[in-house]
Amino acid sequence: MQLPTVAEKAHIEDLRLGDVPMQQEVELVSIDLPMELAEPLLERGVLPGCRICPVQSSPGGDPVVSVDGSLLALRRETADCLCVRLVSSFQDVG
Amino acid sequence: MIALVGPPNSGKTTLFNRLTGLRQKVANYPGVTVEKHLGMVNLDDGRQVSLVDLPGVHGFSARTLDERVTRDVLEGKIEGMRSPDALILIVDVTRLEAQLMLVEPVLDMDLPTLLVLNMVDELEARGGSIDQEALAERLGVDVVRTSARTGRGVEEVLAYLRDLADGDTSVENIERELSNFAGSQPLPVIDAFAARRRLVRSVVQDAGFASPRPSRLTERLDSVFLHKVWGPTIFLAVVLLVFQSIFTWAVPLMDGIDWMVGTSGDWIAAALPDTWYRSLIVDGVWAGVGSVIIFLPQILVLFLFLGILEDSGYMARAAVIADRTMYRVGLQGRAFLPLLSGYACAVPAILAARTIEDERDRLATIFVTPFMTCSARLPVYAILIAAFIPNKPVLGPIMNQQAATLLGLYGLGVVAAIGTAFLLKRTLLKASPTSFLMELPPYRIPDPRTLLLRLLDRSKIFLRRAGRIIFAVTIVLWVLTQFPRTEGGPPDIEQSALGTIGHVIEPVIEPLGFDWRIGIGIVTSLAAREVIVGTLGTIYGVEEADEESFALQEILRRDLEPGAAIGLLVFFAFALQCMSTVAVMRRETAGWKWPALQFFYMLLLGYLGAFISFRIF
Ligand SMILES: Nc1nc2c(ncn2[C@@H]2O[C@H](COP(=O)(O)OP(=O)(O)O)[C@@H](O)[C@H]2O)c(=O)[nH]1
Repeated sequence: MQLPTVAEKAHIEDLRLGDVPMQQEVELVSIDLPMELAEPLLERGVLPGCRICPVQSSPGGDPVVSVDGSLLALRRETADCLCVRLVSSFQDVG
Repeated sequence: MIALVGPPNSGKTTLFNRLTGLRQKVANYPGVTVEKHLGMVNLDDGRQVSLVDLPGVHGFSARTLDERVTRDVLEGKIEGMRSPDALILIVDVTRLEAQLMLVEPVLDMDLPTLLVLNMVDELEARGGSIDQEALAERLGVDVVRTSARTGRGVEEVLAYLRDLADGDTSVENIERELSNFAGSQPLPVIDAFAARRRLVRSVVQDAGFASPRPSRLTERLDSVFLHKVWGPTIFLAVVLLVFQSIFTWAVPLMDGIDWMVGTSGDWIAAALPDTWYRSLIVDGVWAGVGSVIIFLPQILVLFLFLGILEDSGYMARAAVIADRTMYRVGLQGRAFLPLLSGYACAVPAILAARTIEDERDRLATIFVTPFMTCSARLPVYAILIAAFIPNKPVLGPIMNQQAATLLGLYGLGVVAAIGTAFLLKRTLLKASPTSFLMELPPYRIPDPRTLLLRLLDRSKIFLRRAGRIIFAVTIVLWVLTQFPRTEGGPPDIEQSALGTIGHVIEPVIEPLGFDWRIGIGIVTSLAAREVIVGTLGTIYGVEEADEESFALQEILRRDLEPGAAIGLLVFFAFALQCMSTVAVMRRETAGWKWPALQFFYMLLLGYLGAFISFRIF
């Protein structure tokens, strides 16, 4: 995978967790949810800067993601409120 | 007193059981029904330390009932309970980073703390490692590694407790850099979390934590259990299995108990002198309490199943699968477990709803739970269906009218629950969109010890709660049939105080086609639904009235029109004829508002349902 070019950047900042394909690790940028709904996520370590990777999709189409070695099931609606960005592969290794 | 804290699924219960064995009891915190698990730990020198197991929490934001209680206990704000002298913080070491988010708020309590890194067996099996000394140094607390399940490391926990009992509080003297960390001015929540997070990361790094590989087994099982086709198929199969277990496997046990209660009642009758209190003891108290114990096998079988499903990790997946559908009617995936439990008994089901973090979702769930056809309705359904519904086939040989009626009554409950949830979520419990977040623990083989202890717990709670109410009702009922005395003997039922009550309410239920006798049955079954069978037996003077009693069926057929009988069935499908549920609702919602609303709403539905049935049929 390549580093995003400047031209792509605007688009990438719009990337939501709900759009990320399976097994693609991303970094959480911001949580676009009211505090009340964000707090349970924060408590479980889903914070800006953390690595998230969708690993499964439920029969209803909701994502199961892996964060810090825990598996979390979210609703699509929630996943669509999590802004993420791709992490480049060399950062992954390093 | 020492408190055990930790996130859900960290092995808290398993460790608690290891430490206390059978020296534990379950109580409720005053005012709320969060269960308080208290136990005694025997130290090897004969001393005892009391240990309290707190509900599993991720933090102390006090968003949920569990979090509030945990915080209040830790801060010593619970009435009649001292604040703990020390804490044991247990975490699942395979997910150390996420779990340590709890470490800072816990250390902020400024109590001597032991950090237990549980599930080392799994950590090692999956190639992870941790330097426990470095972690202890960094955090300034004692750290032990355990495998609560196999018992490894439990000795060290006991050693820590012994040191504490010796008054060795050296732990407190260690300078804690963490406590100072939050600074003086409060940070905006998200920054506070981010700061906590950075701290945890550096701590974990310093302790040389190598995270384990993801569990292969869990990945593989999830690809089946959450599969587009297999997932829902297995889900349905599991639900059917649970039903099957309640209705077929528990039956022999129930018959056995029925027989034992009957026979022992006869013995007692024979042993007692023939005086006024004989019928009170034999027909009242003994038969009444027996009518409750009979549901114990069902409840045990159900909870055994649910326990296995939960401990194995499947229940979390089931909740995920159910979430989409439940969301449509205004509930959420976590409501699945309480609603399923509701088919045995609404009381434990309502307690099970505490895991629902969103308060509105929880209220909606416990509001509709009593619509699930609990086992106390079955005796009522059984006798009325046997008496009034012909045993003719409907769908060829597959089903007869009786079975179809029973199925219809189950369906009626489900429809009412869905409709009510839908309505609630659009009116009283209207909310901005809620979220659903479910942690999926790795799949594990359930631990028989934990399962067994929990079953024991459940049965004790059930017997105590139900037994007390039935006991009281039967005595009151009996007294009401004995007065006013005529010529020194008990009066005819119709002239007794009970009969008078029946006549008073007769005008209200006349439009439903019920007479005063059914009225009494309805009144007495307010305590518990199944009581109506025995009451009608008493009123009609049928001996040994139970749901198979032909004599009672005969009389009912003579006295009740078919339409009214169906009305009575519908009434029981809807009305909240169960004081235990009302009591539990009051505690779970901390007030009378919800239980009152629920009671009258369900009563109204029952009344209307019965009225319409009486007109149609
Ligand atoms: N492999 C392993 N499993 C454990 C250990 N301790 C507990 N478990 C399992 O983890 C699951 C959750 O444990 P439980 O005590 O119910 O967690 P709680 O929710 O924190 O009370 C159960 O299936 C336990 O059998 C352990 O040390 N090793």
